Amino acid sequence: MSRSRGPEHIVPVHRFLWVLAALLALLAISAGSALLKLGAWNPIINLAVSVTKTLLVMAVFMHETEARQLTRLVSALGFIWLSMLIGLALADFLTRSPLPPPW
Amino acid sequence: MSAVVAVEQQYDDPVQQREAATLGMWVFLATEILFFGVLFASYTICRVLHPIGFAIASRRTDMPLGTIETAVLLTSSSLIALAVRAIKLDNRRLATWLLTGTAALGVSFLVMHGFEYFHEYREHLIPGIDFMQSGPQAPAIELFFCLYYFITGFHSLHVFIGVSVILVLALRVARGSFGPQRHTTLELTALYWHLVDIVWIFVYPLIYLIGRSG
Amino acid sequence: MNAIDADALHGSFLSRDYSLRAWLTTLDHKRIAVLYALGITLFFLLGGAAATLIRLNLVTPDGALMGAEAYNKAFTFHGVIMVWFFLIPSIPTTLGNFLLPLMIGARDVAFPRLNLTSWYLYIGGGLFTIAALLAGGVDTGWTFYTPFSTMFSNSNVFLVVAGVFVTGFSSILTGVNFIVTTHALRTAGMSWFRLPLFVWGIYATSLVMVLATPVLAMTLALIALERGLGVGIFDPALGGDPLLFQHLFWFYSHPAVYIMILPAMGVVSEIISCFARRRVFGYRFMTYSMLAIAVIGFMVWGHHMFVAGMSTYASLIFSLLSFLVAVPSAIKVFNWTTTLRKGEISFEAPMLYALGFVGLFLLGGLTGLILAAPALDVPLTDTYFVVAHFHYVMVGGSVMAYLGGIHYWWPKITGRLYSEAWARFAAILMFFGFNLTFFPQYILGYEGMPRRYHSYLPQFQVLNVLSSAGASILAMGYILPVFYLLWSLRRGAVAGDNPWNARGLEWQTTSPPPPENFVRPPQVRDAYAYDQPEP
Repeated sequence: MSRSRGPEHIVPVHRFLWVLAALLALLAISAGSALLKLGAWNPIINLAVSVTKTLLVMAVFMHETEARQLTRLVSALGFIWLSMLIGLALADFLTRSPLPPPW
Repeated sequence: MSAVVAVEQQYDDPVQQREAATLGMWVFLATEILFFGVLFASYTICRVLHPIGFAIASRRTDMPLGTIETAVLLTSSSLIALAVRAIKLDNRRLATWLLTGTAALGVSFLVMHGFEYFHEYREHLIPGIDFMQSGPQAPAIELFFCLYYFITGFHSLHVFIGVSVILVLALRVARGSFGPQRHTTLELTALYWHLVDIVWIFVYPLIYLIGRSG
Repeated sequence: MNAIDADALHGSFLSRDYSLRAWLTTLDHKRIAVLYALGITLFFLLGGAAATLIRLNLVTPDGALMGAEAYNKAFTFHGVIMVWFFLIPSIPTTLGNFLLPLMIGARDVAFPRLNLTSWYLYIGGGLFTIAALLAGGVDTGWTFYTPFSTMFSNSNVFLVVAGVFVTGFSSILTGVNFIVTTHALRTAGMSWFRLPLFVWGIYATSLVMVLATPVLAMTLALIALERGLGVGIFDPALGGDPLLFQHLFWFYSHPAVYIMILPAMGVVSEIISCFARRRVFGYRFMTYSMLAIAVIGFMVWGHHMFVAGMSTYASLIFSLLSFLVAVPSAIKVFNWTTTLRKGEISFEAPMLYALGFVGLFLLGGLTGLILAAPALDVPLTDTYFVVAHFHYVMVGGSVMAYLGGIHYWWPKITGRLYSEAWARFAAILMFFGFNLTFFPQYILGYEGMPRRYHSYLPQFQVLNVLSSAGASILAMGYILPVFYLLWSLRRGAVAGDNPWNARGLEWQTTSPPPPENFVRPPQVRDAYAYDQPEP
């Protein structure tokens, strides 16, 4: 039994363009908010924007080949493993206390 | 040349071959996340250790240029996604132009980055090459710029590789090597390009947007 | 010369086209496995030569054979070669490459060209490392700790780091290949939970290879950059932290030891079930355990850094997780033991290796638990206790399993039977020599002898002499197979398709297999149906 590539789902052009518009808008938000004094919220907003942009790129631009559950799992694994590296390393760096000299 | 896919002997049919190639590329992309991830992890830890120095250093980067570079890469991602779509619709001419456009944007990214490097060289901000900054935060600034060059250096290398492959593919599309039934290589290259974009999506705020509010 | 049985080799993967060019451009996973085996053996001999120098030097307390500088280079070379050019590739690239497609009923791996590329990367990286040796060696230890490796060592760090970097990509590509092969190329009827445990072992190993090795690659690149530029992120003068390097390095290097042990566990499951004529006890738990080891193994790396300056809280977390990762390993040891119960056990050479594995891995694993407790690790770290621990698991474990697998599948790969008497003798010699070499090192470490020192206090000499004597016996045990295995290629009895009366798809084809693996499509049956007569 030989299968060949069947009729494929073609994404309409406007979806790609809307996503691009959204990405550029998010870019403007992160750049603009960086110029405002928001304290701890600055890095949080920036990170949230980056994550959102990434999810948009992955979901829409990469969707055509990301249809299988397996590939979704694989794409998640890389990020999860990276967060393990950063998380456990920070567990060290954030909890260090300087040793006071004994005198 | 006909755009019919040749099936390697270990595969039963073209669909199995395509699914295997796609899975392989996704696994490879996961490795790239961890490869760059080391730099992101190092950055995170160094920034936690030196928040003030990093903020000062980030203000020395060229935010307008960095923002434009980000916009350029985001646009290039949309172009290559449209190129894959065009090939599925057998519109070879459009696909060729879109791929060329993607490559052109990639090249412009590299050129803009080259300008950044040049300006930083002028301002003695390149560690190991005439680095001269003063003040108590000078070591932390040097640390920041070490990371900056490592991250953007490896990223630019990946952009360069991507641009090269995309140009070759553009040529092959023009010659009719790809069609609706045969474009796996194109799809996989697009995936690679999107990853390069995603890496930059994270690099941009980490390098250009700290401490901008003064 | 005895006549080679033409039928056995007629149309086998070995006999079609003998030319060097055919071998060096092959896309056949079976030939690539053989190419790897040649490289693996070469590097094992090189690493063994370094070990010989080390043990010879340690016969006397004053380290008369080598000065401190030369000794540092010797143990560095031993570590680098054995870890990256022998242990990590050994089972996956030889037995894994050969058997994975066969065991799942496929005609080849998913990406044959990538497979050959992996071999060239392996050899290329190895050549860099040998070049580093010839250029005067490296003295940083295989762990390349900063700032010594980046700023103060006067040896060929860059060459070695480049070599390991290149070989790392061999690892990554092999991992990608095996993962996709297992997902995409299983034959009809070969569902996941019908796979032999060896396949699960290779699959879990590949997951680790793919997720860990990129981190090593970038970390090594950062060392090279810092060494070349004279400045970098590990530099304390800039506010960098040498511990950052250690976190990054061990994030790879701890999972790396699971790359070494998971395939070995797979091999042992196959051998024990065959020679006890019993299905493996607790198949599902065996697969879940291997996956658990692969995953949890990524979260324990800090146990290499308890005394390095890491925070106490982080040490606590890593210690707890290290205890946790021992649980699935223990489950496996229980299951192997239970598999033996009420079995018809025979002691062919592969079984001797497998049984040796279980015992030695158990000892090594238990001492690992001792080291996982920070309070115990503080006096034991950087002593010979640690050296003994990891040699028990890596040599008593992985190497034993590798040799067991080589013997078990030798008839399938070559079509020949080796001399069972010599093989059993070598296995027993190895077991004895190994224990004589490394058990005294537990005591030495407990008594405080530090590792990586070319000399030691006189009160440690007796145990050191015993250890070195053991090493000479161990070396003899390793050299014997080279002779009787090669001899079997010419004079060994023809093996037939299934000399062990084993189950599993690889035994359904000829020995050696044809290039396309199966002349008739294999029938998927229970890989452990030892309780039923062979159909």
